[in-house]
Amino acid sequence: MTRRIDLRRVVQYGVVVVVAVTLNFLLPRLMPGNPLALIAGVDVGMLTPDQRAEIVARVGLDAPLWQQYLRYWGDIFTGDFGFSFRSSRPIVDMIWERLPWTLLITGLSLAVSAVVGVLLGALSAWRRGTKGDLSLLSGMISVESLPSFWLGMVLISLFAVQWGLLPSFGAVTPASDLEGWAHLWDIISHAILPVTALSIVGTPGVYMTMRYSMLETLGEDYIRTARAKGAGERRVLFGHVARNTIAPVITVLAIRLGFAFGGTVIIETVFSYPGLGRLVFEAVAGRDYPVMQAAFLVFTGAVLVANLTADLLYPLIDPRSRTS
Amino acid sequence: MTDAGDQNRAARRTARRRSRLPTVLGLAGMTIVGALLVTAVFAPWLAPYDPKERVARPFLFPSAEHPLGTNDVGHDLLSEIIFGSRVSLLVGLVAATVALLIGTTVGVVAGYYPRRLGSTLMRGVDVILILPFLPLLIVLAAYLGRSLLNTILVIGLLIWAEPARIIRSQVLSLRSREYVLAARSMGAPDRWTILRHIVPRTALLATGSFVRAVSGAILLEAALSFLGLGDPIQKSWGSTLYWAQTRGAFLTPAWKWWVLPPGLLIMLASLGFALIAFSLEERINPRL
Repeated sequence: MTRRIDLRRVVQYGVVVVVAVTLNFLLPRLMPGNPLALIAGVDVGMLTPDQRAEIVARVGLDAPLWQQYLRYWGDIFTGDFGFSFRSSRPIVDMIWERLPWTLLITGLSLAVSAVVGVLLGALSAWRRGTKGDLSLLSGMISVESLPSFWLGMVLISLFAVQWGLLPSFGAVTPASDLEGWAHLWDIISHAILPVTALSIVGTPGVYMTMRYSMLETLGEDYIRTARAKGAGERRVLFGHVARNTIAPVITVLAIRLGFAFGGTVIIETVFSYPGLGRLVFEAVAGRDYPVMQAAFLVFTGAVLVANLTADLLYPLIDPRSRTS
Repeated sequence: MTDAGDQNRAARRTARRRSRLPTVLGLAGMTIVGALLVTAVFAPWLAPYDPKERVARPFLFPSAEHPLGTNDVGHDLLSEIIFGSRVSLLVGLVAATVALLIGTTVGVVAGYYPRRLGSTLMRGVDVILILPFLPLLIVLAAYLGRSLLNTILVIGLLIWAEPARIIRSQVLSLRSREYVLAARSMGAPDRWTILRHIVPRTALLATGSFVRAVSGAILLEAALSFLGLGDPIQKSWGSTLYWAQTRGAFLTPAWKWWVLPPGLLIMLASLGFALIAFSLEERINPRL
């Protein structure tokens, strides 16, 4: 049974990859107007017909669509994303350069929102219906409506400009030769504000999942049994409730990781943070379509890895899913 | 005795508070949404200036004539955010309508024909839910180009999956109810059964999904405009913030009147609908 479910999941992830790659392939070719400008990045109006034909032949736009499609797949499998229109650099290099920064701030912020969300959610469910629970809940609903980019701007205005406590942009101080601890602190101080913004925005989702998941557990018969046989509140909470609540929450967290990754497009733009999200923004603003497409594929990959991790973790945490 | 009485009273008090919260939040949401709708409809009368007209020197500080100062080209910022309510609500409502139409259709069909058709449809829905949402939104918006209609379409076409799932699960349980079985056994055609017996009973759930979708679409519109992917002619709260960002207003004292108000309004608009959605969902499926 377990094996069959796994197989279906794998097929599903395969379909996601195919959809993402096909979208990438078709979008520039289906758009009205001349696809040449979208694919080869040239000012089409400025070219002589000869030059244009030369570029069409070089990029392969004269081949039948299915041949272009196969070639596109081939490029992706060999890790060849082509070159940026703007900088003419290999896109793969640009992505490798940006990826660590994005991993740093998404990783840190997910950890913060996971801890805060799980703790507050558990507290809320445990004190269900009290004033504290209801005000926490209302507060989280409000935080969910916060536009993340605006939160980032306000954080910069307050902490970087008004009080001058933290740097307002970038991941390191430009043109500085800091080493050792000073360098580390430089990186940390640049990461604090973006991580704060991402953590605040990410917390309500975790909180809601934890609260509802725990409320469900609290209503189970075995909790009543535990209480009836005289187990103390602490024992019920840690021995029975927490253990049965945590599995679905971990799954949600793993899936959120993929989404948090995508959310960096906005936060990294606000903070001019040199990660993958900022790369997407720069590509969009500069009409650098190949970079935009490659980054989209990387984001898709990240979401799939996160989902896969959740699938693999689940049976480890929740033994019930191994047998059923 | 008194102890038990106290406990009873406490329990009753908790229960009452629990049932009142959704109503209170729902009313708060409706007040917010109502106020914003009035602002949007009467914007030309409420705004002191034409938001697309240069009415003063650029970068003015707040004054009696310009309560929120002016922007980088001398437009009155107060007028700009009053008119911004129109874009925000329009995109939110229309995109959510698009999403609801697709979501209900897919959800009803998938729920009513759960075997091959339904499971294929739902697998498609799962694929859409897995794709990285924000990057896909941005890529689509970048290719389609900047216009109000494109913003609406891109958002609407990407947020229907969640409503579809919710409505499908409701339809799945409805189709085995007695009155549906009765209608079918008497030879009612599927189309009639669906339109007469199934769709009306998903209305409440669909309303909840719709309102929730409006709340999300408002945030997405703001994000797209902030990234410079909105309609360049329309003034929305997101585009006001885009210019505040581009011109570095958040690095100067101007953040208090140029950055704070539009952001707070985006939050209020999204929150208003979220509160209504919360109160509806609690009514359908109490989880407080």
